[in-house]
Amino acid sequence: MNLEALWLIPAAPLAGSIVLLAAQGRMPQLPAALIGAGSVGLSAFVALSVALAWGDAGHAPYAQTLWTWIDVGGFTPRITLYLDGLSLVMVGVITGVGFLIHLYATGYMAGEEGYCRFFAYMNLFVFAMLMLVLGDNLLVLYLGWEGVGLCSYLLIGFFHLEDANGYAARKAFVVTRIGDVAMALGLFLLYRELGTLEIGAIADGARAAWGNGSPMCTLAALLLLGGAVGKSAQIPLQTWLPDAMAGPTPVSALIHAATMVTAGVYLVARMHALYVLAPTAQLAVAVVGAATLFVAALAALTQRDIKRILAYSTMSQIGYMFMALGVGAWSAAIFHLMTHAFFKALLFLAAGSVISALHHEQNIYRMGGLWRRLPIPFACMVIGSAALSALPLTSGFYSKDEILLASFAFGATGPWFWAIGSAAALLTALYSMRMIVVVFFGAQHHETSGHDGLNMTIPLVVLALLAIGGGWFGLTPVAAVLPDGGAGAEHGGVLALVTMAIPVLGVVAGWLLFTRRSSWAHLMQTPLGEGTRRLLSAGLGFDAIYDALFVRPFVALARLNRNDVIDGVYVGIAALSRSLHRAASATQTGHLRWYAVNMALGVALMLLLAIGG
Amino acid sequence: MEIVLFYIAAAVTLSATTLVITRLDASHALIYLIVSLLAVAVIFYLLGAPFAAALEIVIYAGAIMVLFVFVVMMLNQGRRGVEQERTLMHPRMWIGPSALTGILLLEMIYVIAASTAPSAAVVVSPRQVGVALFGPYVLAVELASILLLAALIGALHFGRRYMRDRREGAE
Amino acid sequence: MTAISIPLEHVLVLAAVLFLLGLTGVLVRRNAIFQLMSLEIMMNACGLAFIAGGALWAAPDGQVMYMLVLSLAAAEVAVGLGLVLQLERRFGHLDVDAASELNG
Repeated sequence: MNLEALWLIPAAPLAGSIVLLAAQGRMPQLPAALIGAGSVGLSAFVALSVALAWGDAGHAPYAQTLWTWIDVGGFTPRITLYLDGLSLVMVGVITGVGFLIHLYATGYMAGEEGYCRFFAYMNLFVFAMLMLVLGDNLLVLYLGWEGVGLCSYLLIGFFHLEDANGYAARKAFVVTRIGDVAMALGLFLLYRELGTLEIGAIADGARAAWGNGSPMCTLAALLLLGGAVGKSAQIPLQTWLPDAMAGPTPVSALIHAATMVTAGVYLVARMHALYVLAPTAQLAVAVVGAATLFVAALAALTQRDIKRILAYSTMSQIGYMFMALGVGAWSAAIFHLMTHAFFKALLFLAAGSVISALHHEQNIYRMGGLWRRLPIPFACMVIGSAALSALPLTSGFYSKDEILLASFAFGATGPWFWAIGSAAALLTALYSMRMIVVVFFGAQHHETSGHDGLNMTIPLVVLALLAIGGGWFGLTPVAAVLPDGGAGAEHGGVLALVTMAIPVLGVVAGWLLFTRRSSWAHLMQTPLGEGTRRLLSAGLGFDAIYDALFVRPFVALARLNRNDVIDGVYVGIAALSRSLHRAASATQTGHLRWYAVNMALGVALMLLLAIGG
Repeated sequence: MEIVLFYIAAAVTLSATTLVITRLDASHALIYLIVSLLAVAVIFYLLGAPFAAALEIVIYAGAIMVLFVFVVMMLNQGRRGVEQERTLMHPRMWIGPSALTGILLLEMIYVIAASTAPSAAVVVSPRQVGVALFGPYVLAVELASILLLAALIGALHFGRRYMRDRREGAE
Repeated sequence: MTAISIPLEHVLVLAAVLFLLGLTGVLVRRNAIFQLMSLEIMMNACGLAFIAGGALWAAPDGQVMYMLVLSLAAAEVAVGLGLVLQLERRFGHLDVDAASELNG
């Protein structure tokens, strides 16, 4: 297979989605599973072949134009697929991890209502995400962007008969929409200033038209950042991600851990030319990332729902990626994106196994003592948590330490970023230990049942291997694309040792704290402790703030306008017409003499006018 | 001389017409109407239209009014009709219409007085009328006859219904 | 042809007054027969106006129009009296205000 098969990569999931949608839910489970998982598997296989062919071709960027999308007034975006190191890494993650998750889902969703629909939406999502990363111009990227937003909505609200799932889906859609609007404004600005939406041309045009720190460039970069913040659930648009866990666990694994939420990171990395020219915007990226990673780690410490712990954890890890982008460690960010996909998907799938074994119990305090009954999920969660906490020699270790060391070397503010990142790394280890200890150790509160099939076990094993060994790849493909040339920070010195030691400390502290519940529980009994716990559990009150600031006034306004003003105009016209009709028909009394009087009056008036005029 | 006769005939017409619209008994009103029409016929003759005067008497007073008389006799309202009229009419009802017609009268007098047409009048003989009827107005005559035919059929229809209903009512 | 010395404005005023008397009768009287009679008065007044006009212009057209008006009056009376009979049959009296169902 050669590079020309690039179009097959997004086409296979699209075809799968169309076939499954056309079946209108009447396809039996086995063919649906084969088409659903098989299309993504085919895409993964083609991606592998294309990667090998790309390597043979000397890592040169390859563009494949499929057709011209629009041709109006000099604006001719084309559907062009662009393959370089960055998009290859993303494609690999999406199709590889995506295929494993699809395979897992064939087992997890077995017996559920809407099996066919599930895989249709999942395939559609994979297609949209691939278009996002393979797009040569920002319009194709935006197509993918909107597509993943739609599929996220469809899949969060997959169990649509429950109201709460619908609310969660709408919340996700509306909050990301705010980001999407900012991004659209950014696109408009870029097109107006630079006259093109092709990414390469924008990079060249920006360097030519705008100097360093130009306000227009900063504005465009900030607007694109707005879009990224929405899609990647960073502060201030992060409130949707914990609620999005209402979707099925494979959805949480694929969309809200491995791929969609990383779209923001990809966008900033892809448009690195703009951010290099606008240091203020780049600093904003770093600040957003740093704030989010710390806040989310705090919130994850107090969650009761196992999936919400993982959701806040995802938010925190993406914060690391943003911080890395902000301090100029572009390759480290993408590296962390890849390793995070591995271990976060592993964690979610293992959590899914635990949840389904306990008949969809998600409260960790109702679990316990499961390490003997569920050995494989236990092992996977331990491996995943180790990678998450960046314990030495796991994949997460390589990527996260890369980020922390690079941020230290950033400049005057570098050490602050390092400090925040390291503190959050400590918290990460703590909450991971809390999760493992509470779920798998202690007294068992819930009976387990069921047994995972091979189609659920194999992805877990593969992901576990990747979570351990994924870090040894390094990021050479990305070297040619990103400004820092794939170079890593130094790994020696005191700083590196300290950075390595902090997660280990966290693990030990966590083991001590959470296996001996008494001291922890004692701390929590105090009013300060209880108040803090409640605040952190509610995501540091962002939901409450947004509710008071935006939702309540809007609802009040809507209630004011309940008898819609605009509608009132039309109703008013109809009412006016009816009253005029009633007035007119009152003159038709049926009395002959009345008509004669009116005629005479008319004549008198006309004569008056004739005489006068 | 003619002017004096004209004013006398005009006075008769006006008074008779006023009496027509204010009577309670239908037959009285009819008689007054006939008087009014006869006076108008005199005026026609004075205006030099003897043919029109003859038609006025023969057709208008002689046929149309007689038709009215027939219907009134047939309805046979009598005293009960008079009583009904007394209840239906009272002086207050005259105010509004009188005001309206007063305004119209003023307007029409204004228009007539303002016109500057010559006031000489000449006699037009029946012969001229006949020539005109068979000349330029022959189509109008035909149309009038069709109109009369339509009225004939309509009156026939109504009358037959009436007779049938009356016969059924009597049985 | 001899000239007639009657001032024609006076004839027209007479016609106007007759016409308005007839109109008043239509507006005031509720008895159907009286309404028809008032209509006759109005049409007669129109005829008078036509004759006066014809005399003015020394043309037979005035009298021709008068004849057409006359035949129209005859036709109308025939049908109208038929309606009066029907009215009396249906309602038992001749009050025109009773027949007012074509309203609203």
